[in-house]
Amino acid sequence: MSNQETLLRVEHLCQYFKSGSFVNKAVDDVSFDIKKGEVFGLVGESGCGKTTTGRSIIKLYNITSGNVYFKGVRIAAGVQSYKDAIKKAKEDKIPNLNEFVAEQKKLIKEAKHDQKNCDREYSQKLVAELEAKYKPLLEKASGAEKDKLLKEYKDEVYKARRTKLVTQIQMIFQDPIASLDPRMTVREIIAEGLIIQGERNKKVIDEKVYEMLELVGLVPEHASRYPHEFSGGQRQRIGVARSIIMNPDLIIADEPVSALDVSVQAQVINLLNDLRDRFGLTILFIAHDLSVVKYFSDRIGVMYYGKMVELADSDELFAHPLHPYTRSLLSAIPLPDPIYEKARKRIVYNPLAEHDYSVDKPSLREVRPGHFVQCNDAEYAKIMQELGENV
Amino acid sequence: METKLSVRNLRISFRTSNGKVQAVRDISFDLAKGETLAIVGESGSGKSVTSKAILGILAGNSIVESGEIIYDGKDLLKISEEDFHAIRGDKIAMIFQDPMSSLNPIVRIGRQLTEAMLLKGKARQRESRSNFNTYLKTLEKTMIESVAKGDSARAAKISENCKNFDKFEFKHIELEKAYKTAYESASETVDDIDKLAFELEKKSAGKDAVDRLNDIIVQTRATVNKYVVGEEHKDEVHSLAGSLMSTYNSEKKANDYPGTLKILYRIRELCKEGVEKEAPNFFRMGYYLTFSGKPLPDMPVGELNDYMKDYLDKEFMLGFISDAETALRYSANRSGEMMKKAIDELNAARPVFKRESLDKKECYAKYKELSATVKSCIDPLNVTKDSLTFTFSPSMKSQLDTYFHGIGANKKAIRKHDADQRKHDRIVAKGKKPEWEVAEANTVDLELIKENIERIITRLVDHYDELLAALPNRNFREETVGSINYLMENASGVIEKVTRRVAKHRAIKLMDEVGIAEPHKRYRQYPFEFSGGMRQRIVIAIALAANPDILICDEPTTALDVTIQAQILELINNLKEERKLSVIFITHDLGVVANMADRVAVMYAGKIVEYGTSEDIFYHSAHPYTWALLSSMPDLDTDEKLEAIPGTPPNMIYPPKGDAFAPRNRYAMAIDFERQPPMFQISDTHFAATWLLHPDAPKVDPPKAVVDRIRRMNERRATGNE
Repeated sequence: MSNQETLLRVEHLCQYFKSGSFVNKAVDDVSFDIKKGEVFGLVGESGCGKTTTGRSIIKLYNITSGNVYFKGVRIAAGVQSYKDAIKKAKEDKIPNLNEFVAEQKKLIKEAKHDQKNCDREYSQKLVAELEAKYKPLLEKASGAEKDKLLKEYKDEVYKARRTKLVTQIQMIFQDPIASLDPRMTVREIIAEGLIIQGERNKKVIDEKVYEMLELVGLVPEHASRYPHEFSGGQRQRIGVARSIIMNPDLIIADEPVSALDVSVQAQVINLLNDLRDRFGLTILFIAHDLSVVKYFSDRIGVMYYGKMVELADSDELFAHPLHPYTRSLLSAIPLPDPIYEKARKRIVYNPLAEHDYSVDKPSLREVRPGHFVQCNDAEYAKIMQELGENV
Repeated sequence: METKLSVRNLRISFRTSNGKVQAVRDISFDLAKGETLAIVGESGSGKSVTSKAILGILAGNSIVESGEIIYDGKDLLKISEEDFHAIRGDKIAMIFQDPMSSLNPIVRIGRQLTEAMLLKGKARQRESRSNFNTYLKTLEKTMIESVAKGDSARAAKISENCKNFDKFEFKHIELEKAYKTAYESASETVDDIDKLAFELEKKSAGKDAVDRLNDIIVQTRATVNKYVVGEEHKDEVHSLAGSLMSTYNSEKKANDYPGTLKILYRIRELCKEGVEKEAPNFFRMGYYLTFSGKPLPDMPVGELNDYMKDYLDKEFMLGFISDAETALRYSANRSGEMMKKAIDELNAARPVFKRESLDKKECYAKYKELSATVKSCIDPLNVTKDSLTFTFSPSMKSQLDTYFHGIGANKKAIRKHDADQRKHDRIVAKGKKPEWEVAEANTVDLELIKENIERIITRLVDHYDELLAALPNRNFREETVGSINYLMENASGVIEKVTRRVAKHRAIKLMDEVGIAEPHKRYRQYPFEFSGGMRQRIVIAIALAANPDILICDEPTTALDVTIQAQILELINNLKEERKLSVIFITHDLGVVANMADRVAVMYAGKIVEYGTSEDIFYHSAHPYTWALLSSMPDLDTDEKLEAIPGTPPNMIYPPKGDAFAPRNRYAMAIDFERQPPMFQISDTHFAATWLLHPDAPKVDPPKAVVDRIRRMNERRATGNE
């Protein structure tokens, strides 16, 4: 795994919401990276910040602090951490304060610039590439051929100008009813992204829409219908078609199967699995059904109240859960086995009783290759001891 | 096991602009007391419609074509809306799928939680009062008849005894109530202090600490009772409670609470002592205080109990119990006599309902006669209700009504079917291919109804035979104690008043129970301030607030995540144990079913296709649809591709001729498309409707995913047992 290319890197992501004087730390210092072609599962109870993490990555929110790198380009950056550093430095009155402040301010400026301009720079880069490609061709060509080339070039530039880097990340939403506009036909819904990106050729659009519909197991006749004419599973398929038509590299699937029946759930999971094999999609899979996440994901991150508490390969995580919250979560999974179920004892997680973080602050540490746990020094020592006995 | 609810031959359709949608097609099941029945199936299989019918909230365009839902001797499909008010929400409560639409957006959560408690509190008081009076009066009358036998002095003595019972019973309840309030306050205080002190020590108490302290103060003051925190500690308790708040406020700034903790621990000590004290017998005490005219003698609780027992037995109890026992035996024997008569009459009436075509006038006359006889078999002094006797009249009536209505309706249905068929034929003759199929004529099976009537009579006769056989061996002493307990329960129901304060306290406790943090703050908020999971918890709390008999859960945890789901399921399970609740659990998550269900009904296209205990369904499932459901859901060990069920459920405007699942079924045989399979019985508890169980059917194995999973489950259990 380690030799694979990193597609998405999230560094110290924080997303705070202010309500009055109270600051709600929805996501607090979360870091992880997703390799190309893998499915990364994010689990946790409702309100723990899974969805917020997904939405912050796709820039639906302006993040408070931290960085998000996509294909090596910083697409989102927050400034709160630098501001805090300046404030702290001023309070502590550290030597060469001015230099430090200047440095931090420079970082803030860079972050703001990246946050605002990453898409423009990307499209400028594309335009420049096009120019480099077409300039020599245009010079060589003449007559009708030149006109044709010119038209093609203009078209491409028109498209390139409207291209954003972020559109290579697409999202599938939880509620297939709420996420589809009831007044648009399926064709309009699926093609909307293409049109915004600058595709003007109706024929191309139709072709692509039909292709996508067939890909997700619907038929081209469905294109002229409205969302309410479909069942829940079919609606979710439309949602999937809408996101893959943009040819994304990363799909953020925010609880795509939670609202569906079991039989339909299986259909959608199979579909996502097929697409993943076919296009080498990378998926950030957010869900609370652990059986589904286990089935679908390569690696899993467990979140609790805005923090990542454990991160490991999915088999490793289910075989050796180390953080008490993960253990509690795993003990709560219902299985279709009545005798086992009736004897199952749920482990209750009470953070106050489990940890003493008053002095020693915890952090995410690697306890085994690829297996990270949120713990402090004392807990780390204990876990290592346990693992030593196990191995 | 006592049957709480029984659904028989239920058929429900919906009138739509395109035609009649048959949502529920002839389903029957029983729900025993304290049992969980899970109904599983895809959306559109008629699960929710069934539950809505039980609660009497079907949509306006629905037609109940046939069937009955018997609860507490009443047919819920036939009683009036006024009668339903007494049942809905109080006896049968429902947790809905969508929490937002079942909460009022402009009323605070607290109000919505307490509203029902306050309203139902009054109604319950009235009901208990009338139950108590009726029962005591019947008992008195029977006692006079059986014991006094015309002796007027004896009769007067009995009447006086009953009056006395009434009097001191209420005294007893009052004393006990005072004790219980104090006792509960004390034990709650211990719990609350344990929680709060822990957080204060860790210096991580939430913002609602003040509210919780206030609660503790109120509770602490309420613990003063002779048998809990004695009068000698009264002053201390009051001064402790008084100083608690000011101490907390002075220490709050420093976030260090040695003084507060000291006070809390002292209160805890006192309450703990009180909780551990032996409780006196208030029943005896009530009698002593009412009739002896003396204050209680000064002695330890244990001795006091014995002393009062002697007094009570000598003065009153032994005589009363023996009289009551005589009365109960007398009443049981009398109803036994009536049963003998009823058996003869029922047997004699059989031919009337067996004729080739029934005579309307004769049948209804006979029905009235039989109803009256059966009604007279009811033993008014028997506390447990004999549901077969109670349901005889409504179920007979509904069968007869269906029969005589069916005679006319059948002709009409056949005419319509013929017309449709002709139209279809015409189109085919023109060489076109029609898009629709001719639906089967929707006729009432008249022979089946005759069989049903026969079965009702046979069932009742058998039941009476059993009762008569058991009559000589009945333990009337035990039943007498049961009757007195019944009276006591109702008396305490009369005294129990639900005030606003009590309701609030109970609501906050419920909110805490369903896992809502900071319930004091949440109590004052509006629904939109809650997240989805939190809203669902509120809905569950509201359903539980009325303390129902039957709880219907319509996918209550589908929108929640695992930890909360597990909490809520545990909560429902605990309540079920505590209150002997019967639960109907509707879901499509088989993991949840395994956790909750005692029995499982798998529904598809409005029919129950498989029915059995949860072990039957999960380890020995027999219907292809159950296999498909089981194999389409991943568990922690699934690696291979999931087997999704192809296609969609059928359009129920044109219900398929054969098995509804056949087009999606890998194992479908030719006959599946032709005829509907009957219910085959596999074991005592396990039924499935599939032609695969027919003796002539080829032997098929369940899909690999299912077999593998069962093997894995067995392995896991084997390793677990070692």
